Amino acid sequence: MWWLKDVMVIDPSQNISAPRDVLIKDKMVLEISASLTEEDVLVKAQGESVETVNGKGKYLFPGLIDVHTHLREPGQEDKEDILSGSRAAVRGGFTTILAMANTQPPIDNRALVEFVRRQGERAGYAHVLPIGTVTKGMQGSELVEMADMKAGGAAAFSDDGKNIQNAEMMRLALEYAKLTGFPIISHCEDKDLAGDGQMRRGVASGRMGLRGIPASAESVIVARDLILAEETGGKLHLAHISTADSVEMIRKAKARGVNVTAEVNPHHLIFTDEEIGITDTVLKVNPPLGSEEDREALIEGLRDGTIDMIATDHAPHTQAEKARPFAEAPFGIASLETALSAVWNYLVLPGRLSLDRVIEAWSWAPAQRFGLTGGTLKPGAIADIVLFDPDFSEVIDSTNLVSKARNTPFLGKNMAGFPVMVWVEGKLVQRDRVVK
Amino acid sequence: MKWQRKDILAIEDMSVEEIRHILHTAKVMKEILMRPIKKLPTLKGKSVVNLFYEASTRTRTSFEMAAKVLGADTTSIAVAQSSVSKGESLYDTAKTIQAMRADVVILRHPSSGSAKFLADILDPAVINAGDGQHAHPTQALLDIFTMQEHLGELEGKNVVIVGDVLHSRVARSNAWCLQKMGVNVTLAGPPTLVPAEMEGLGVNMTHDLDSALPGADIVMALRLQLERQKSGLFPSLREYSHLYGLTTERLKKTGKQSIVLHPGPMNRGVEISDDVANGVDALIERQVTNGVAIRMALIYLLIGGSGNVVA
Amino acid sequence: MEGTIKSKILDPDGIRRAVTRIAHEIVEKNKGTDKLVLVGIRRRGVPLAERIQQYIEEFEGVKVPLGILDITLYRDDLSTIDIHPVVHETDIPVSIEGKAVILIDDVLYTGRTARAALDATMDIGRPERIQLAVLVDRGHRELPIRADFVGKNLPTSRREIVAVRLKEVDGDEDVLLLERDDDINKS
Repeated sequence: MWWLKDVMVIDPSQNISAPRDVLIKDKMVLEISASLTEEDVLVKAQGESVETVNGKGKYLFPGLIDVHTHLREPGQEDKEDILSGSRAAVRGGFTTILAMANTQPPIDNRALVEFVRRQGERAGYAHVLPIGTVTKGMQGSELVEMADMKAGGAAAFSDDGKNIQNAEMMRLALEYAKLTGFPIISHCEDKDLAGDGQMRRGVASGRMGLRGIPASAESVIVARDLILAEETGGKLHLAHISTADSVEMIRKAKARGVNVTAEVNPHHLIFTDEEIGITDTVLKVNPPLGSEEDREALIEGLRDGTIDMIATDHAPHTQAEKARPFAEAPFGIASLETALSAVWNYLVLPGRLSLDRVIEAWSWAPAQRFGLTGGTLKPGAIADIVLFDPDFSEVIDSTNLVSKARNTPFLGKNMAGFPVMVWVEGKLVQRDRVVK
Repeated sequence: MKWQRKDILAIEDMSVEEIRHILHTAKVMKEILMRPIKKLPTLKGKSVVNLFYEASTRTRTSFEMAAKVLGADTTSIAVAQSSVSKGESLYDTAKTIQAMRADVVILRHPSSGSAKFLADILDPAVINAGDGQHAHPTQALLDIFTMQEHLGELEGKNVVIVGDVLHSRVARSNAWCLQKMGVNVTLAGPPTLVPAEMEGLGVNMTHDLDSALPGADIVMALRLQLERQKSGLFPSLREYSHLYGLTTERLKKTGKQSIVLHPGPMNRGVEISDDVANGVDALIERQVTNGVAIRMALIYLLIGGSGNVVA
Repeated sequence: MEGTIKSKILDPDGIRRAVTRIAHEIVEKNKGTDKLVLVGIRRRGVPLAERIQQYIEEFEGVKVPLGILDITLYRDDLSTIDIHPVVHETDIPVSIEGKAVILIDDVLYTGRTARAALDATMDIGRPERIQLAVLVDRGHRELPIRADFVGKNLPTSRREIVAVRLKEVDGDEDVLLLERDDDINKS
């Protein structure tokens, strides 16, 4: 049994944001109290040994749930695999991760769903839940066996980067997915508008002569999918929202009662296109970094609940792939191990977002939307828990990252504020940033 | 001035003093090119590698000649475009060149930023001979050099650059270079090829060429890539030529004896009428000589002394 | 000047006499002024050449053509010096084909500058002959080169510095012998 004493508990599911004592026993949260005496604890341990942690000055919150990660297995294990990705997850404070379907081959049938799930269980770190594709081979023409894939353990459906361009296919997917109760995750990108763009179309792209992706490449698909979700009554989740227009449209759709949720990536809350230098492939990401106006709108959207959740879009790539001229390097930022610290430093400490809102958007909100266990510290809930030390500092470098990837803009930076203890189902899997 | 730059990658980050120093050095080099014996011992034993991922006989030959006049040895590595994606990466090629102990690498590459990418990896000097749509500094310098020969001091002069500015590294480098020299620059072309994001260059923009011409000392026409029509960027050569083609009649609107420049090769009858093109032809010979002089100056400035020696 | 002055070798009058004599010798040795082209080596060779041109004009009544030679690009020590020398224009306004080119410099020392000037001259054209005139010859040749016209022969040690100052370039007018300061504080 674990006795976490005098720790600042942040649990938006119960509206707790106060110093508490927490007991973990038999893979579950046993109790949260204002304070416990040693006698109380010994009685509750029922003879089990008690490990005590003094949590003064630290935060305790439900393990984070990341609904958007690329674990690259099967097919691209040189970039990442389920073992390295789920180790990176718990190092970063994530106890449940959803694995995107765009592997090679894509996760478009039950056998592959079960493979990913099994690999996650074998790894034994974070809970790994597969997202299935929407269409076979992500070709955008035939739906996958959604009910069967649900039975195999899928958590949602998405064609990810190969956004469904055919509006009728998207409409059918929203209809058919009702059988599963799962949302269709839209990648929100119009292929023609995006073209072979490399970064957000704007003054910075014009100056550097890098081909631009207009903000409309996202917004027109957001508009389309909102209309389709409204018309079908289907369940829609919009991935990595990055433009002010998208935020405004989602706000209005929610007011009309459309069944939609949206996520935002930390890098879109932190960086803008003006920060990209012509060789900074580490900031090459899709959707591309937007303007300062977009960044402000995203923060506001997350504050007011228009944007429901934060997700990393952890996109690991090899160093060789990123060590190319800008146009030839792949899109993506590897972020599982740094995302929480980045949000803490760039958004919470400057007062742009409250820690309560961050934890809600990164645990309770995704748990509810995707019907997942976790995301709460209610007594009886599964003990997926993070102890966060705002003073723990670390230089992000190749020697301490456990992901296979190094494509993070924080490489070489000294940051403070990290998860220092992480439990998955009551088992301690990370302590002092070292994954067990 | 004391020259400290390791590479020539873009005009954007150069100082006016550096640009003037390059132009001064090029003037000396041009005198040498006019001699009966065009061979110097200056860079004896130095090696210059031409690494061209895009075909460009003109630019490559110009660099080769510049290096040879200065007495350096040159090697050309022409990489077929098709092998870029599947073959050796630029990173690997760079490592090979490093091992060959080249002193200067001249890079022409279809990706914006590739020159800086290479310069960051390599110890030898890198000269950008055109990277994607980003920059073509030697072209801009030779254009400025030619303009100065005709007009003297350029400060306060007016230059109109007309055409496919969006996709043009020549336009970008010229816009930076001219601005730094105190020239008023106007970019002209249809909204699809001179879009709002070009504001980042900090120069005037217009979609009405005729309104930009009065007072122009120099008009530079850019080459129109004919495949842009297929991408839907403009409806037809006929309409483009009607709105933006340089004709004798249209050039009268400048109200002066303006100079017309073109980075070549020209699409006669599209961005430039035949008779105007004939006038430009007369300048091309001079441009070629000036191009060699500018490139000699740059190679000399980069490796003429050994800037890396620490006492 | 990075040294201590030991003695003054020539004063303004001394320079004037030496240069005048050189001007006479050039005309005498070349049997007139017909084929002469004076070429000053940058920097101090240039005012010396101008003076010689003026003296010749005074006593022969002929203005001999005058050019300027920059030998930076012909130096053999470019890769051993740690700054990039600024190149200047070479300006020789007449053809030197079949002419008698007189290269003019202030000091002849190792002979490397003269060697570079010979190469540069021959890249410009094919003169009938090339001669070398210097204000001071201080010895210590590293190449088989000698001057045809010398204003002042001055035996020196390698530790010494010969400083020629001309009013057109330096404001002052003299030739000084200096002792190099000890380089204790230099790396």
